[in-house]
Amino acid sequence: MHEPVTDATVEHWSSQVLRYGVWGSAALMIIGLILSALQSFSLPAPEQNPSLGELVHRVWSLTADPIILMYLGLVLLMFTPIIRVITAIAGFAAERDRRFAWVGAVVLVMLIGEIVYSVVAK
Amino acid sequence: MCVACPGTFVYYDRTRSSGTHPVTYTSLLLLYASGIITGGIGALLGLGGGVFLIPFLVLVFDLPMHQAIATSIVAVIATSSAGAAMNLERHTVNMRFGMLLEIATVLGAVLGGITANLLSGAVLKKLFAFLLLVVSVLMIRRARQRRSAEEVHLDGTLPGSFVDDATGTEVKYTVKRIPSVMSVAFVAGNVSGLLGVGGGIFKVPAMTMLSGMPIKAATATSNFMIGVTAAASAFIYFANGHMDPYIASPAVLGVLTGSIVGVRLGRKIKSHVLTWIFALVLLAIAIQLYVR
Repeated sequence: MHEPVTDATVEHWSSQVLRYGVWGSAALMIIGLILSALQSFSLPAPEQNPSLGELVHRVWSLTADPIILMYLGLVLLMFTPIIRVITAIAGFAAERDRRFAWVGAVVLVMLIGEIVYSVVAK
Repeated sequence: MCVACPGTFVYYDRTRSSGTHPVTYTSLLLLYASGIITGGIGALLGLGGGVFLIPFLVLVFDLPMHQAIATSIVAVIATSSAGAAMNLERHTVNMRFGMLLEIATVLGAVLGGITANLLSGAVLKKLFAFLLLVVSVLMIRRARQRRSAEEVHLDGTLPGSFVDDATGTEVKYTVKRIPSVMSVAFVAGNVSGLLGVGGGIFKVPAMTMLSGMPIKAATATSNFMIGVTAAASAFIYFANGHMDPYIASPAVLGVLTGSIVGVRLGRKIKSHVLTWIFALVLLAIAIQLYVR
């Protein structure tokens, strides 16, 4: 039988998401910097930041170079608080706290809207 | 021109079309070290790294203001997320109040981020100088205030509780005047998106003085919100090409390292004298930024 979800549970889930997000992104940045150093920093940073789609494509097709890894670390870091919001929404929904599940949903919609705006306005 | 190290530090300047500059071990180490120093100072003073990191990047490394802000924003996400992870396990964060305020801070941050990319670096520099002046005054005021016993209200909404490590007792509280705090949160979010800082210097006093939260819960809840606030404008800076991985990565790693060290040192060092010293340092930096 599942234990009921409490505030402490939601706090724990959110804490884990933040912790893994920060350290995961730090690991990607460190690996990218080390690989770049091993290549004597021969790859310059591109003139424009790659799009999110391009980042996903490069990782999926295993053509990520050290710079892409560093960008991936930065993007993962930027997404970490957003994943935390999603976790909180799920937690409040599991606690049957609809009011704050909706509050979280409003925050999430605003964040997604900002990402879409950034992509479209570029 | 690089003030700190002519000829040894170079960076990729996206504001010019003159091509790339090579990255060096020296430049990466200097950026990492600047992150450690600014992250450590920020953690000692409870300010976050952005307030010190941006002047460091602009005045010492001659980085364009938009790049410095973009770098600071991701550094702020890193340190606040790491801090929030700890505070959540200690149950000092009022998640419901924090998420309610996030509606206001995210809206403010998005508008701030859009505005910042429409303004020139020179204007942002002067705005940042003004912000440092305000932060300096608030820090001096905080240092002069005597710590009195906190009054907690139990007739408000969104109840919270935590165990105070210092006394071992459970502190219960509720919050009041939510619309007023949301207005301040909107302004704090706007400043965060516009100038790349966390905004906690505005949110924490609002939460303690307006809504009656205990300082530990207010600080933890503010820290909890900062990550989302910064993320709200980070994508705008990223899409506008202001995030250089060779600059942001070592700076973020340095600020993370510095803030961990700073939190540990902070338990041993009385911050009162440090607050005065750095308030005056910020004042001097504000004048430098305004004049340059």
